[in-house]
Amino acid sequence: MNSNVTSVKLVLLGEAAVGKSSIVLRFVSNDFSENKEPTIGAAFLTQRVNIGNHTIKFEIWDTAGQERFASLAPMYYRNAQAALVVYDVTKPQSFIKARHWVKELQEQANKGIIIALVGNKADIIEDGEERKVAREEAEKLAEEEGLLFFETSAKTGNNVNETFLAIGEKIPLKNSSSANDQHHDTNNNNNQRIDLDNNPVDAASNAPGCSC
Amino acid sequence: MKSFERRPSVAERRSPFVGSASTNNTPTPMVVPHLAGIEDPVPETTPEKVDVLIAGTGIVESVLAAALAWQGSNVLHIDQNDHYGDTSATLTVDQIKRWVNEVNSGKLAPYSNAKLYVSTNVGRNYKSRDFGVDLSPKLLFANSDLLSILVKSRVHQYLEFQSLSSFHTFENDSFEKLTNSKQEIFTDNNLPLMTKRNLMRFIKFVLNWEAQPEIWEAYSERSIYDFLTEKFKLDKAQTFELIFSIGLCYNIETVTPKALQRIRRYLTSFDVYGPFPVMYSKYGGSGEVSQGFCRSAAVGGATYKLNDKLIDYNPETKIATFKDGSKVTVMEKVIMSPTQAPEGCANIPKQQFEIHRLICIVEKTCNQWFADGESAAVVVFPPGSLKSNNTQVVQAVIQGSNSETCPRGTSIWYLTSAEQGPRGEIDLDAALEALENSLLRETSQDIVNDSDIVQVGPEGQTIINSVKLGQSFKEYVPREKLNFLMKFYFTQHTSTPPFNIVASSLFDMQDDNRLIPGASDNGIIYTPMPSAEISYDEVVTAAKVLYEKIVGSDDDFFDVDFEDEDDNAMTNNPDYENAIASNSDEDIAMGDSGEPVGEMEI
Ligand SMILES: Nc1nc2c(ncn2[C@@H]2O[C@H](COP(=O)(O)OP(=O)(O)O)[C@@H](O)[C@H]2O)c(=O)[nH]1
Ligand SMILES: [Mg+2]
Repeated sequence: MNSNVTSVKLVLLGEAAVGKSSIVLRFVSNDFSENKEPTIGAAFLTQRVNIGNHTIKFEIWDTAGQERFASLAPMYYRNAQAALVVYDVTKPQSFIKARHWVKELQEQANKGIIIALVGNKADIIEDGEERKVAREEAEKLAEEEGLLFFETSAKTGNNVNETFLAIGEKIPLKNSSSANDQHHDTNNNNNQRIDLDNNPVDAASNAPGCSC
Repeated sequence: MKSFERRPSVAERRSPFVGSASTNNTPTPMVVPHLAGIEDPVPETTPEKVDVLIAGTGIVESVLAAALAWQGSNVLHIDQNDHYGDTSATLTVDQIKRWVNEVNSGKLAPYSNAKLYVSTNVGRNYKSRDFGVDLSPKLLFANSDLLSILVKSRVHQYLEFQSLSSFHTFENDSFEKLTNSKQEIFTDNNLPLMTKRNLMRFIKFVLNWEAQPEIWEAYSERSIYDFLTEKFKLDKAQTFELIFSIGLCYNIETVTPKALQRIRRYLTSFDVYGPFPVMYSKYGGSGEVSQGFCRSAAVGGATYKLNDKLIDYNPETKIATFKDGSKVTVMEKVIMSPTQAPEGCANIPKQQFEIHRLICIVEKTCNQWFADGESAAVVVFPPGSLKSNNTQVVQAVIQGSNSETCPRGTSIWYLTSAEQGPRGEIDLDAALEALENSLLRETSQDIVNDSDIVQVGPEGQTIINSVKLGQSFKEYVPREKLNFLMKFYFTQHTSTPPFNIVASSLFDMQDDNRLIPGASDNGIIYTPMPSAEISYDEVVTAAKVLYEKIVGSDDDFFDVDFEDEDDNAMTNNPDYENAIASNSDEDIAMGDSGEPVGEMEI
């Protein structure tokens, strides 16, 4: 693989229906659908972004709806290097939830995670409808907690790419794809992860388990 | 028996030609489009109607949920806990404290006799969250049905696996490191020529044992020990290694065919992904794997709700009622882990077998037990090797901090016995003492200058020869004491006999529509509690049996293919899946095709 590619796990957090999945869809395929039919998924979505002569490959984990009943698993946050905490600029409640998610990330996620606070559905305001979360309030939260901040619209695409680019620019290049620096007590032969996508060495096989 | 029409899968329902009547009736394998991970805008309330309700997020339930979700069933998956995993959970120290209280107040019927010691150091020098302790520690064979489903479903992308190649047999108060590759067995200079020859003969045979009934038929009801010593003239030492370290059997009486299959499991898993037979997942074992399948199920459309408990199910109205008062109509089946049973339940299958577990966190690394670059090992205490004069093995899985389940400078020891009754706990204590003494001996400063015992490795690291240590320092009583950060003991009850995988009769028994008047759980199908088995071998079997009960057939169990979404996809090689998923024993190329066995010079 290209040595200039840095893989970055990015997770989305935020109340249900603020537009997390729509933001991903917009970013990954520059698409938006008003009345979505169930879209289905593989493990996670990937999208590459070029910054200078480097490529950042975002591995984007959407919540798959598990946020609805506060059922996100620790696996979801684990080793995330970036997060989008999304709220809906027309729903004050969703902003309160966003504060909660920021706190949760600071407690549960890796130190040094890059967080972007994202006020989505900005297009609705431009249509003359009422804004319910003041820009200043969100900017203040972002400043206090050291977050990037953008107001976006997944519908028009406004600021969506900018959000991901800004995150990409803050990602430390190299070393960032492996957690080796935190590694410990060994016997250490650098990264011990086994790549199951690699062809098995030996094709001879007899599955164990049921011997029917 | 009732059979169901096969529902269209999510992928089929999402066919791009929605308008046109589909003429394509057998779209196997289904192809899931590239665009993924994005679900419908979803309501804040749980659905009113679902096909299947699953309670408990243990590994069997989670694999089942994912299989059903991808098949197209509408699944509601709940757990009474605020975390995933249920009987397979990976817990923090604080979560263990709560769990122990629940067990001892009788709220978790399939467990009993929980005891816990936690050092005050946890909370001071260490955080509770630094630890991830498995209630049901498991190892993944490189050639196994769960592994092929992990790859097929892409759940492996949520996980990180590390290799384990160190298997030690405890004998004569010391560890013999298992000569764990076929080659090593033959190049071991300590083995007499005759023994090597016999071993090789056996290994050639076992790789294809089923096709040679003339060799083992007379032993089909007899113990593997008799078979190996009589038929292959193997010494006790090799026999024990084959039965207990390679076969991971529980006792000397294990019947020959069962043991042969287990020995082959190890040998055919070796060198599949590298020079090791098993793997484990980082950050926690079956708890982590369960979370991965739950996420997959959620992506496939299942609804997840933690902190929720079923309090009643009425099989006539098909209405399930939850703790919070909400209700859901379940069109097909309610599947439930025995731990999640509602009050007033009367249908839980008898859990007549015991598994004893002792889990310790020690403030010491155990690197000398691990192979280079690894962070885990298996230690097996064969029958008769312990002070307690054990008749069943004690199996120990040791994990170091690179498994990310404990902080630097510490290790977790999982000791398991399938002995029945109070002896189980006594055996575990004896095994713990043996482990403790070995570790202290090997790391004691008193002996570090004895060059006979201490060798220096290529990078200047100190290697201690534990075999020698065992021999020459048997009487050595260490001055040091080991610091325990936690000692955690409990008994788990299961309906699966030791070292067996779940019997489908367990579910048939529950199928006779018996109604116990007044019971809150009539019509519910219970999943099996985990068995004592150290591998994941029973998981897929159990999930498949349940799947068949719901869908009508298991033909399309995880029959889903993902479109190539990325450069690192593995679908370019169509033979690959078959290579590891193959269930056929006709596959007899094994004797030659690169088997090291055939190439050995004797
Ligand atoms: N007007 C407008 N609607 C949006 C925007 N983003 C998402 N939506 C709509 O909001 C609803 C919820 O979006 P979804 O992406 O499913 O939210 P999620 O639950 O956070 O993943 C859908 O009906 C979307 O069409 C946006 O930027 N503007
Ligand atoms: Mg969504």
